[in-house]
Amino acid sequence: MLPIAMTLALTAVLQAQAPAPAPAPDLSDPEVAHVAVTANSIDIDMAKLVPSHTTNAAVRQFATTMITDHTAVNAQAGALATKLGVTPKDNAVSESLQTGATSARASLEPLHGAAFDRAYMDHEVGYHQAVLDAIDKLLVPTTENAELRKLLVDVRPAIATHLEHAKHLRSQLAAPARTGK
Amino acid sequence: MIVGLLLLLAGLTAPPKTHTVEIRGMEFHPAVLTVAVGDTIVWINRDIVPHTATAKGQTRWDTGQLVQGQVWRYVARRAGAARYVCTFHPTMHGKVVIR
Ligand SMILES: [Cu+2]
Repeated sequence: MLPIAMTLALTAVLQAQAPAPAPAPDLSDPEVAHVAVTANSIDIDMAKLVPSHTTNAAVRQFATTMITDHTAVNAQAGALATKLGVTPKDNAVSESLQTGATSARASLEPLHGAAFDRAYMDHEVGYHQAVLDAIDKLLVPTTENAELRKLLVDVRPAIATHLEHAKHLRSQLAAPARTGK
Repeated sequence: MIVGLLLLLAGLTAPPKTHTVEIRGMEFHPAVLTVAVGDTIVWINRDIVPHTATAKGQTRWDTGQLVQGQVWRYVARRAGAARYVCTFHPTMHGKVVIR
C-alpha cells in the first residue's frame, strides 16, 4: 500500500495528461527546482526513520546511501539555483509529493523490524520509479534552462541505481511469516 | 657491447604507466582494466554523489569515500586480479587485472 500512496502522488500529475495528448504540466524553472529539492528532501527524511526502526544492516546501509546521495544532489541543485538566480517556487507537483510523503511516513512509523524493512523497501522501489518517470516525462521536457536540465539528466543514473539497489534488497527480504492462515 | 645490451634491455622494459578509471553515470569506466606491475591506477569520481572503489576477496584496497572530483591512486605491486565494488552502490562493479 505504501508505495502506491507515494507513487500516486506523482503519477496523478503525470497521468493527468494521459487521456488526451495534452502537454505535461508546464512548470517554470523555479518550480522544477522546487520539485527536485522536494523530491530529494522527502527521501532523506524517509531514510532518517530507518535507524530507529530496524537493525537490518543492508537496509540501514541503503538508507545511509539515500541520505548521502540526495543530500549531495540537493547541494548541487542549491548551488545551481544560486548561480542562476532562481528561487525555487512551490507548486502543485511539489505539494502533491509532500502530501504523499506525509501519508507514507504515517504508515511506516508504527512498523518495526522485518515488517518495517519490507514496507520501507517497497516504498523506496515505488518512489524511485516515480521520480524516474517524473524526470523523463515531466521535469526534463519542461525545463528551459540548459544547466538545470543537465543537472536533471546527470542525476537520472543515480536514481536508476537506487531503484535497482532497492529492488534487489527488497527481493532479499523474507516474506512475512504466515501465521493463522 | 655490455652497455649496448643493457640499453637494449632497458628499452624493452616499458616504463610504468598511469591508468585512469573514471566513475561517471554510476559506472566505472573502463569496467575492466588491465595494467602491468609497477603501473599506477587513478580513480576519479565525476559524479555528483560520492562513491568508493573497494576490492573484494583476498585483495585489500579501498579508495574510501570519493566525493565529486576527488581522486585516489593505487600502485599495482603484484600480479593478480581483483574485483571491486562501490560499497555505497552495490550494483556498481569493476575489475582490475595486474600482469
Ligand atoms: Cu557508488
